[in-house]
Amino acid sequence: MTIELILFYLAATVSLVSTILALTRYNAAHALIYLIISLLASAIIFYLVGAPFAAVLEIVIYAGAIMVLFVFVVMILNLGSRGDHQEHEWLNPRMWLMPALLCLVLFLEIVYVLSFTSEGLSGVVVAPKTVGIKLFGPYVLAVEIASMLLLAGLVGAYHLGRRYLSDARGGDQ
Amino acid sequence: MSGLQLQALLPIITLSSLILIQMMFIAFARNLRLTVSISVIALLLTALSFFPMVDHLPISATPLIQLDGFALFYSGLVLLGALMVTFLSYDYLRDQGERQDEFFMLLLLSCLGALILVSSNHFASFILGLELLGVSLYTMMSYPTRGLFTLEAALKYLILSGVSSAFILFGAALIYAIEGKLGFTELAGMNHTSAASGQFILLMGSTMIFAGIMFKLSLAPFHLWTPDVYDGAPAPVTAFLATVSKGAIFALALRLFTTTGLIDLDPLLRGLSFVAMVSILAGNLLALLQDNVKRILAYSSIAHMGYLAVAFVVAGKAGGQIMAMEAASYFLFAYFLTTLLAFSVVTIMSIADHEVDTTNLGDYEGLFWRRPALAAVFTATLLSLAGIPLTAGFIGKFYIFSIGVAAEAWLLMAFVVIGSGIGIFYYLRIIFAMTKAPRTDVKIEIPTASGWVAVVLTVSLVLFGVYPSPIIDLIGELMISFG
Repeated sequence: MTIELILFYLAATVSLVSTILALTRYNAAHALIYLIISLLASAIIFYLVGAPFAAVLEIVIYAGAIMVLFVFVVMILNLGSRGDHQEHEWLNPRMWLMPALLCLVLFLEIVYVLSFTSEGLSGVVVAPKTVGIKLFGPYVLAVEIASMLLLAGLVGAYHLGRRYLSDARGGDQ
Repeated sequence: MSGLQLQALLPIITLSSLILIQMMFIAFARNLRLTVSISVIALLLTALSFFPMVDHLPISATPLIQLDGFALFYSGLVLLGALMVTFLSYDYLRDQGERQDEFFMLLLLSCLGALILVSSNHFASFILGLELLGVSLYTMMSYPTRGLFTLEAALKYLILSGVSSAFILFGAALIYAIEGKLGFTELAGMNHTSAASGQFILLMGSTMIFAGIMFKLSLAPFHLWTPDVYDGAPAPVTAFLATVSKGAIFALALRLFTTTGLIDLDPLLRGLSFVAMVSILAGNLLALLQDNVKRILAYSSIAHMGYLAVAFVVAGKAGGQIMAMEAASYFLFAYFLTTLLAFSVVTIMSIADHEVDTTNLGDYEGLFWRRPALAAVFTATLLSLAGIPLTAGFIGKFYIFSIGVAAEAWLLMAFVVIGSGIGIFYYLRIIFAMTKAPRTDVKIEIPTASGWVAVVLTVSLVLFGVYPSPIIDLIGELMISFG
């Protein structure tokens, strides 16, 4: 088996394990940690097949922005002394050992790739510039449709959320 | 990008910009009448913007969009469906409190998604169009006008539809892994060119896409969501789901499988025949057990999608492709008219009800005495669904039957005959219920817009059932420029 395959399967295993763990956790915060690891693992897979730009976007946008928002919301929802107690439980070694282990595998992998090879291991490397030219050249329509899709999602989420929230509060609007 | 290509994108540009204008109006001056007027204007202008390009077909504008006669015909159907649903929703939502404006914006957005789907020539626009259609539809379904009851339907549809979209994405990824291309035209003939090791993955990929599309069309082994969603969603939204959403996805499936040549894959074609037979049987048999008009219509739509799948199977056999596409197009046209009309009756019946839609068979008892005109219209619809002569539904079924006979698909034809036979029974059951003595004397108000929708649809249902040649000629002319 070649080294690229080993690296791929390692990252894929981490991604699968962390996704399954994310789905089976009872605690939302724990599930989110595993979800972030799953996203990091797919970012590594993107890097390995020669899409460094997609890998960076995966980390910056998914693991970075969106997941941090999720974590914030989840944490804001359990404030107070009960929250303190819960936070104490989160620091239990049993809780952070597994995520740390999975992250370590990914970390070793990325260190190996960066130190022994200068570029992605398989496939053709797609630079950010190529992606940009494609997106605003032949695929400009796709970008525009995606923006309409986001508009639909935004209007829908706003409308449903507002109506149900005010119902729950006993408002008449 | 040349002027011609821009012209081809004109409908999409028109509709998108009018959606934005409508959004601005909603943001600054909420007025339901104004919002609905903008919706109607947007749909009419979009329909008009197709005309300048008629002489230049087919045009491919960017790798994503291919406009030909086929796309034009289905765009027309989508716009017709959306227009009718707009009128129905106006009556349905008018007295349900304030802030109903966003509904019409979402309706236009999902209509945009459907327009992209029918002219899509690339997996990227396929998936984006599908999601645009779907995401707007989830909100429209759960639009909180009548309590939280609709939320269940929307949640069911959201989860199952999301899973099927994931299947389609994964299938597209497998095909890309073998071929390295995503455009339908570029993929043409791929099942003959790739190596034997690639064949298996290609088959896996196309089967996954196939399964995803079957789900969205609610064909039989994938139909479990249909009755609940039809039942739970507001009546105009169900009409939209049953016609525009399914019609656009069917058009896309037809284009995808014929352009890429995937339809020649033998296992796929055999699977499709099986799905068609099971759908016809399951849809018709399960409809027998129902006492709820919306659920009967849901099962009957499963059976009708089965009849459509028969045309799809015939399209895969050598020689019959263009004929099969014409038959499928006419059948779908008749299905659009009939289903829209059926749900406009359900909408009119439900408007007075503020909790849930009026769907129990008992509520329709004595309709012939309470509102003869409405009952007559509903009877015409049900006869058209059953495929009785003098209605558009008959011509559609006859068309399917004739291509099936020409292609010598005897087993499939047997199922179509058995299915139609069973179908007549439960359609007549509704008609008999309407002739019984009325339970109440409560007057049913027929609102203006929905009333006109019903009149227009009934007239065209009978007109194109008696004199179908204008539509058949139109379809024949448009199909020539396919591809």
